[in-house]
This record gives sequence, structure tokens and C-alpha cells, in this order.
Amino acid sequence: MEKIYRDCIESMRETKLMYNQMKLEKIGYIDNDDHGMIPLPHKEGFPKLESSPDGLAYGPRDIGKNWKLWLTEYHPTYINPNSALAGAWFGTVPGLGGWRKEDRPYHLKELHEKYNFVQTGIGAMNHMCPDMRIGLDLGFKGILDKVRRFRYLNNPVNTDFYDGEEDVVLGMLAFIERHAKAAKEMSLTETDPFKKSNLEKIAEVNQNLLKEPPKTLREAVQFLCWFQTFSRMYFTSGAMGQLDELLRPYYEKDIKEGIITDDEVVWYIASLLVNDTHYSQIGGPHPADGHDLSSRMSYLILEATHALRIPCHIALRLHDNYNHDLFHKAVTYLFEDGTGVNYSCSGGLDKGYMKNSAPLGLARMRAKVGCNWTALPGIEYCLQDVSRVCLVKPLLLALDDMIADSSCENSMEELWDRYCGHLAVSVKVMKDGMDWHMAHHGRNTPEMVINLFCHGPIERGLDAVDGGVDIYNLNCDGVGLATAADSFGAIEQRVVNEKRISWEKLYEVLKNDYEGNENIRLMMKNIPRYGSGGSLSDKWADKISDKYTHLMKDTPTDNGYQMIPGLFSHGIIGQLGQNLGATPNGRKAGEPISHSADPDPGFMKDGGSAPTAKSNAVARVQPGYGNSAPLQIDFDTELAMSIGGIEAIENLLLTHNKQGGTLVNINVVSKEKILEAHKDPSKYPDLVVRVTGFSAFFASLSPKYRQQIVDRILSK
Amino acid sequence: MGTIFNIQRFSIHDGPGIRTTVFLKGCNNRCLWCHNPESLIIKPQIQTYLNKCIGCGQCFEVCPEGCHVLFIDDETKETKRMFKREKCTGCGKCADSCFANALVLCGEEMSAQKVMEEVLMDKPYYEQSGGGVTFSGGEPLLQLAFLKELLTISRENGIHTAVQTALNMDFSRVVEVAPYVDLFMCDFKIFDRDLHKKYIGNDGEKIRENLKRLPELKEYGCEYVVRTPVIGGVNDTEEEIKNIADFPEEFVHPAYYELMPYHNMGLSKLETLGVEGEDIGEAALFTTPSEEKMNTLKEISNIIKK
Ligand code: SF4
Ligand code: SF4
Repeated sequence: MEKIYRDCIESMRETKLMYNQMKLEKIGYIDNDDHGMIPLPHKEGFPKLESSPDGLAYGPRDIGKNWKLWLTEYHPTYINPNSALAGAWFGTVPGLGGWRKEDRPYHLKELHEKYNFVQTGIGAMNHMCPDMRIGLDLGFKGILDKVRRFRYLNNPVNTDFYDGEEDVVLGMLAFIERHAKAAKEMSLTETDPFKKSNLEKIAEVNQNLLKEPPKTLREAVQFLCWFQTFSRMYFTSGAMGQLDELLRPYYEKDIKEGIITDDEVVWYIASLLVNDTHYSQIGGPHPADGHDLSSRMSYLILEATHALRIPCHIALRLHDNYNHDLFHKAVTYLFEDGTGVNYSCSGGLDKGYMKNSAPLGLARMRAKVGCNWTALPGIEYCLQDVSRVCLVKPLLLALDDMIADSSCENSMEELWDRYCGHLAVSVKVMKDGMDWHMAHHGRNTPEMVINLFCHGPIERGLDAVDGGVDIYNLNCDGVGLATAADSFGAIEQRVVNEKRISWEKLYEVLKNDYEGNENIRLMMKNIPRYGSGGSLSDKWADKISDKYTHLMKDTPTDNGYQMIPGLFSHGIIGQLGQNLGATPNGRKAGEPISHSADPDPGFMKDGGSAPTAKSNAVARVQPGYGNSAPLQIDFDTELAMSIGGIEAIENLLLTHNKQGGTLVNINVVSKEKILEAHKDPSKYPDLVVRVTGFSAFFASLSPKYRQQIVDRILSK
Repeated sequence: MGTIFNIQRFSIHDGPGIRTTVFLKGCNNRCLWCHNPESLIIKPQIQTYLNKCIGCGQCFEVCPEGCHVLFIDDETKETKRMFKREKCTGCGKCADSCFANALVLCGEEMSAQKVMEEVLMDKPYYEQSGGGVTFSGGEPLLQLAFLKELLTISRENGIHTAVQTALNMDFSRVVEVAPYVDLFMCDFKIFDRDLHKKYIGNDGEKIRENLKRLPELKEYGCEYVVRTPVIGGVNDTEEEIKNIADFPEEFVHPAYYELMPYHNMGLSKLETLGVEGEDIGEAALFTTPSEEKMNTLKEISNIIKK
């Protein structure tokens, strides 16, 4: 790579690490995605909204007002002369009230607590995918014209929606204009010739974007960069789309005209990836004939992630016609960098999504644009990754009920029946919450930013949640499958089959959190566990996943919304575990429950976690309707050194895809390094780990959170 | 039925592709550096990891032979435990009730069907990667009938098969399973007779004879590879490696010849088998050859092979 671009990228990387340190000092640990936020100095004293009784903004019109003011006068500008792009965010739009008090679901609170709901999905934002082609084709000015045109055509009585959207776009334009000016000013005093011309270019690109849609690749990337910044400022949205395809036309045109080089393009993309960690896909099946979408652009995106070595959220899509060369490169970089893209699998996603009455072409379009999730760009409201059912709590409730009921005999059948009963109530509570969300969301916190990049909301004057888009599939993820399955397996083996302990004694021991009964705890823990294959626990995992899927899928919500089940915990296994007593799999009260659909660390008989066994297990329990149950695998660096290691991982991934898997997240890290970094994170400030679907700097995570990752990696 | 001591899935160093390696227990060599000392005798053995013991007392109660005993240390007056290994029949009862995994039974009698059930779980990965199953040990050819059964089932299921052997037996055993084997991975550890006797316990004559006959296996469609573990202080001399690589005219064109650096992994296992302190003897003296040395030796072996 040309030295100047390599130096720019390295400098952006160092700046990023510096901001990390600042954030650690100012904010403390961040147990989440890094989101590219920069702790910028900023103007204080954002005013209260006079028209609102509590001074806070509710609904589209008032949110639009705050947004415009925020971007016009308050949010600071940010330009790094080593970056090809202007802009960054430091905070979300202030003064928003969220949901009005009268709309909040207080009536569901008790049931949410009973069933251990930590994320209900109610009031959750974003978590759908924009179609960025809309924006790239229109430009910001074109979007403004579109809002005004449809306001005129639709002539609504209540103009709140269009008022708000218009202000949102005006705020965006004002913010861009401020940056164009700032870049120009900085260029006047800049003495380094490259930086000076770069600043002039940034000013020019942004001046152009005020008037017209992007025409060059650099303008297109700057446009996407603005989208990242704006969507993040509005309730931290993070989905982008099929990045290689969005940029390919601009790239091909500029290359043909000889105005860019590949090295320069890698720098543009690196600048975009430093700006924020939005989720995008590269490669994947063409909707019409399934040929692979990858292009030179896909390679350059991959190169940029490799050059940066910071958390980036690019997924490579595996499917029948995947590009092996690109895939091989991605896996090789994973070994070199320790982290990299993750692998979205059409094997399970496409066929699964078709089961929701979707044609294959539509299923193929559903891109990987979130931590674990996929969505149809611009046409689907899917509310992914924000609602979770705890698969463990119903078991504890079932045990309570069965033991308390003297009229029944304790048995596996009785326990399972009661488990299913509680799980059914839990799922119904989730569905009721979804109806509540759909009915109240738009009037409180509408999708002001994503609306602009969807097919319908502006045309119809309807928020995306209220009929703005055509397709509605609401997601819910189950969490803690292994904890539940191993608990059932342990009871069946130790209580029923071997009769080593009575139901009553086990119940008493659980209630006392295994206190003074370490031997019983170990007895319950040391059974053939979920993942080992063919065990009792494996059978229970199948049953639980199947039951959960049916409960979600067989009936829509009362108001008729279709649900699509997945199995994914994001990072909430600690929170969920805190609310739970001891479980029959030897887990003590308060400890985290298991991740997503993954078997627990050390699930094999010898205490290992054979990747093929794990992959089999996760492929088996897929709910199978196009939402994901990811497979998380952590490899030791030693494997990377050994002959055949890369091929083995490639073949593991390809097989998981063929078996109907949906997503694979991989780390390659040495045990020694992770242990040292856990002890003293400052030793490895640039160590990036894939936490679940998202990546993060290890040093930015709290010790408790880091522990979960360390446990996982040490169990190999 | 046969006795195995481990089934390792996602094994990538025991032949091509992603494999499952099945370790059969029992060996007729006694390499002092053995990194699987638990594989040597065919009988199941108890391995102890007493730092994990939670003192539940189960093992004392269940052992029919009274192998686990408590005694008062004369000097310290502390109560201590003792494992009378010599009385142990390997029945596994204590390990079965030791949920802390402080006592683990190494070696399990299993039917070929049962073993293959687990092997077949990863069939899609073998197909994708060109992998399969590897039977290792110990010396898998010692449990000949069992091995044949395992290989037959593998064949029936279309899985690539590999057998790792030290060839210290009558060649007829090799020939007997050859029709079911795709790849033999043979060890050639030491050339010099005296060294062979000193470190492996026999003069290696049979092994050398068998190595010469490997080309016969081609008749059965088998490939074979020859591997030499390089052990610091034993065979890491230019002369040894030269002799090995130069070995007989007939010993031509194996699929490949490989030098493998030895890793000192057997020592900690020896302790779990009750071999401690002085008894570990020479096993503790072997070293892993440096990368530089490995490179020099590899060069020599390559020159010879050319
Ligand atoms: S059974 Fe295991 S944990 Fe219990 S006393 Fe014996 S060795 Fe210790
Ligand atoms: S394996 Fe059997 S004989 Fe040996 S110590 Fe354990 S219980 Fe006693």
C-alpha cells in the first residue's frame, strides 16, 4: 500500500486508541459495541422545549425541532486531517422524553419480572435496515425535496410527521455545511501539503453533498459516513447494508475515469470504519440468480478492516456460490489479526426465511446488518435483537409449582408440561408487549432517521412502525438454552434414571444454592452435556428449541403480527443470571446463564469444547425461520500456526453453513495473551475480541464482562 | 469390544482434513519419552488429580478393593490419603462417584458400534475437508479384531481411514487390516540398534523389517507416510536422521516423510498415573529440539529423500 495511505490509516488507528483511553477515564468501562463515539468537547446548555409541559420532546415534530437545533448549534464538528471523511458523534440528540408516561407498559411489569425479561423490545429503536441506495440516489437535498413533495401530495391534516422529518433533514444539511466550512478553515492554516489538500477535498466533497447526490466514490463514502453519524445520534442505530454493492458503481466509474487508486479506496473505507461500527455485509447471493455479489469493492473493504485492526462489523455471506478466494482471504486475516469479519450463513437463513411465505429472491436479499441479525433493506420492520425470552426461568417456576403441588407425582413429564406452560405464558407476554410497542411507538419515538432511507414512510406519511414499510416480522430471541437443557438432562439422569438424589432433596439443595452440597452440585454438573452429541441434554435442547419455536411461530400476536424466533443473548447473560436462583445443571444463583444457542464452555466429557461438536449442536437447534442462532467459536493462536489450521476452520465454517447454520463468530486468541490482558488490560490496549455478534476492545470491557470471554476461551 | 482411552474430535494433525482420532489402549513399545503414558497398558487405569478433590469421601466407600485409604502421618499427625494402585482392578467405581473429577478412569471398554456412533457425528466435516477417522494409540494393531471392526464400519460409511502404528509386530497384522485402510502413518523413531534398545525397549529389528515391506501395501490401495518424532537427547543428531531418511532402497515414495518435534507433554500425565519423583527417571531429561535444529535436520532429511 502506498505509504501515505498506510500512514493515514495507522494514524487513525492510534487516534482511535487514544480516544479509547479517554473514554475509559471519563466514562469507565463500556460493555458494549464501541460505536465510534468520540468524547468531544461541546457546548452545554441545550434548552428545554418550551411547547412541552416537561420540556422534553415527544413525537416527530418536537423531536425534529430538537434534532435541528442540536446539529445546527450544539453538536461540535469533527475533522481529522488523516481521515478522508468529515464527521463524528459524541452524543445522542438531547432533550428527548422517550415514551410518554401514559403510553408506558406499566401493566406488563409484573409479568416481565416474573419471567425474567430484561429486554422486552418495547420502545426499542432502529434494529431494521435502511436501503442506502435511496439516499445515495437522492442525496440529502433530494431527500429534503422528497419530504416536501410528499407533504404536498398527501396533504395531511396533522403535519407532525412531515414537520419532524423536514427538520431532521434540515439539521443534517446544516451539520454538513458546518463541516464543509470547518474543513475549509482548517485547510488555510494546515502546512502539511497532503493534509492541506485533503482538507480542501473534504470541504469540496461536502459542499457538493449539500447540493447534489454523491457522484464519486469519495462522495458516496462520505454520504454513508454521514448516515452512520446521524443514525447513531438517534438512539444509536447501527445497520447499513450490502456495502460492497452500494459502492461498486461509484468505484467502477472512478476507476474507469482514472481518478482513484485501490490504495486510496482502502483509505476511504478505513476512514468510514473508524467513523463508526455500523453493520454491513460483503458477498452474498444475487436475489435473482444466486450468483455471488462480491466484487473488487468487497476485497477493498476487507483490506481496510485488515489495515485497521479495530472492531469492525463486516460480515461475509456464505452461500452456495460464495467466493472462495475472498473467503480464504478473510479467514487468513482472522488468523493474522485475531478478529475480523464474521460469517453469515445462507444455509440456514435463506431457506428459513422462505418459511415465512417469502420467495427465495426476497430471502436472498436479507442482508446481515446487525450484531446477529439480518433484515431486508428498506422494506422490512423486524425489530431484531432487542427482545429476549429467558429459557431458564420457566424451568425454575415449573419446579416450584410441581414440588408445591402434592396432588401430582414428580416426574420428567410433569416437569416438562409445567415448563411448557410457563414458557407459553412467557412467549405470550412477549407477544403482548410487541403489540403494545407497535401501537405506541410511532407517536413517541418514531424512526426519524431510518424512515428517510426506507421505501414507503415518506411516500405515505407513515412512520416505519405504523405502516410505512410493507413487511412486518417481529423478532424475539431465546436465551440460556444450554442452562435449561443441561438442567433437564441432569435431573433426568441423576434423579430419575440413577436415583442418586430425590426430587425433594434436589429442590432443597437448589433453594440453598448448593450451600454445603458441593458434591451434589458437581454431580449435577458432570453429566454428558448439551453439545456432546446424543446425550440426554442434547435431546432436551432439541425439545426446548422446538417448543420455543412453535410457541413463537404457530400463532401471531393478538393484533396479527408474525413473530420470527431466534436464539441469541447479545451480552445479557450476566443480567439474566443475576435474577435467577441456582439451576439443576450445577449453576449457582446469580451466575450468568449460557450464551445464545451455544453449549456451555467445556461441554465435552474431557472438559474441552470440540468445534465440530459445537457446530453440530448449534446447527441442530436452529429455530429455522431466517433469524439467527449464532455459533461462537474461540480458537487458540497455536492452531493458526499449525499446518492445515486455516483450511480446517474454512471447512468447519462451510460445513456449518451446509448444515443449516445461520452465523459464525470467531476469535483467534492465545490463552496466555487473554489471561495477561485480563489481569492488566492496559498491556494490550489494542486487543480486539469478538464478544458475541459484536467486537470490542478487550480493555474497554468491565472485568466481569471480560471474565465471561476468558472462561469461554480457557475451556479449550 | 475393545478398550479405548480417548476420542478426539476436530483433530487436524493426524492425517488429512478434519478428523476424529480414536485412541486404542495398549502398546508393545516402551518409549521413554511417550507422551501418552496412559496408553501403554490395555487395562483401564485410574488417573488422579487430587488437587480437585473436595473430600466427599465417596471413593473410600465404593472401592471394593480398599484402594483408597486414609492414614495418619507419623510426623505431622495429619490425616492423609493414599491410593494403593497395585490393588486396583480398574473397575472404575471410584471414578464414577467422583464428581469432582479428581479420579478419572482412563480406558473404557466400548463396542465398535458405540465408538463409531461418535465418529460418525462429524461425517459432514470429513466430507467437506477430505478428512476422516484416525485410529491411534497405544498401538492400535494390538487390538486387531476390534480395529478391523472399526475399520469395516468406517468403510461401510464411506469415511477415509488412517491407522497410526509403530509397526512393532508381525507384518501379517498390517496386511490383515490393509484392505480397509486408506492411509498408514508409520513411526520410524530410531535407527541405531543400541539406542533403540535403550530408549524403546527392543532392538527395532522387526520395525525395520516391516518398514521395508511398506510398499507391499500399495497393492491394497493404501498410502503410507513415515514420521520421525525428533527427541532432544535421543535422535536429534544429524547421523540418526541421515540414517533414518536414507533407509533402505525399498522404502521408496511414501506419501510424505515428516520430522515432528517432540513435545514434553507426557510428564504431567505420568504423575496422574502414580509415577512420581525419581521414578520418572529419564523421561524428564528429553527436550524439545529448537526450531533451528529442526530446520537443519529437515534439510538433511530432504537432501536424502531427493
Ligand atoms: S470421590 Fe473424589 S472428591 Fe470425593 S474424596 Fe474421593 S477423590 Fe475426593
Ligand atoms: S477403579 Fe475400582 S478398584 Fe480401582 S480404585 Fe477405583 S474402585 Fe477401587
